[in-house]
Amino acid sequence: MKVRITLFGALRDADARGFIELEAPDSCTIGELRELLRNHLREHAPNISAGLVQRSAFASEDEILHNHRALPENGQLAVLPPVSGG
Amino acid sequence: MQQIFSVSIFADFRALKYMTDLHTAVIDICDGVLNPADALAFVSDPRFGGIDMFIGKVREHNLGRVVTGISYDLFEPLALRTFEEIGERARRKFGSPMKLYIAHAKGELRIGDIAVIVAAGTAHRDEAFKACRLAIEAVKHEAPIWKQEHYTDGDSAWSEGCSLCEEHREAEQRGKAHDHGH
Repeated sequence: MKVRITLFGALRDADARGFIELEAPDSCTIGELRELLRNHLREHAPNISAGLVQRSAFASEDEILHNHRALPENGQLAVLPPVSGG
Repeated sequence: MQQIFSVSIFADFRALKYMTDLHTAVIDICDGVLNPADALAFVSDPRFGGIDMFIGKVREHNLGRVVTGISYDLFEPLALRTFEEIGERARRKFGSPMKLYIAHAKGELRIGDIAVIVAAGTAHRDEAFKACRLAIEAVKHEAPIWKQEHYTDGDSAWSEGCSLCEEHREAEQRGKAHDHGH
């Protein structure tokens, strides 16, 4: 399935469009998607550190999705680097 | 049948009442500014003798560098949901009646602009202080909001922040405790 990952904060520097699209297996978990994203960034955005992806969370519009969770059926996700509001 | 119907009405009333006791907002700085008077008006209530408000503003120095402004980036739907969850948590912990106001700015802010307002109204001061503190700390550490500081030399930097990744947080807790000074 095609997965669209919306970028925020420091991860916006990874793609000027504000999102990254990846092809992922239907049975993919969030933990596996994290690896796919890390590999993608290593090739296409080497300025983004692997550590930043490791510290980032994935989320739908409703909740944080931890590593064991399956991808949302609509293939829409956000990747959230460490937060710093206020 | 009549009895079930009245229970349903009662439940709906309670839900409606709860919604009117919590105000959450993300305000794009292009559309308007955060206004403490709005927060004060919202949490004011004849039942309440205590009101506490936290106002977070953009300051001109951070970590020894002169700041000219801050850009705030938000994942808005999840930020609003997080604010609602924080409101529910405050109510569970400190009880009701309580009114809570949580609003955060989005976009390019200048020095002195208001970035965040949290206000709590309760019967007595103790719950108001505690609910306000709980809410602002949770907004800073849990809401999907990112701060990019701009400096006089033209450089910019995203603040380090708190990880929302459960696996990373657990690893962090096994090692060195995270500094929540920010």
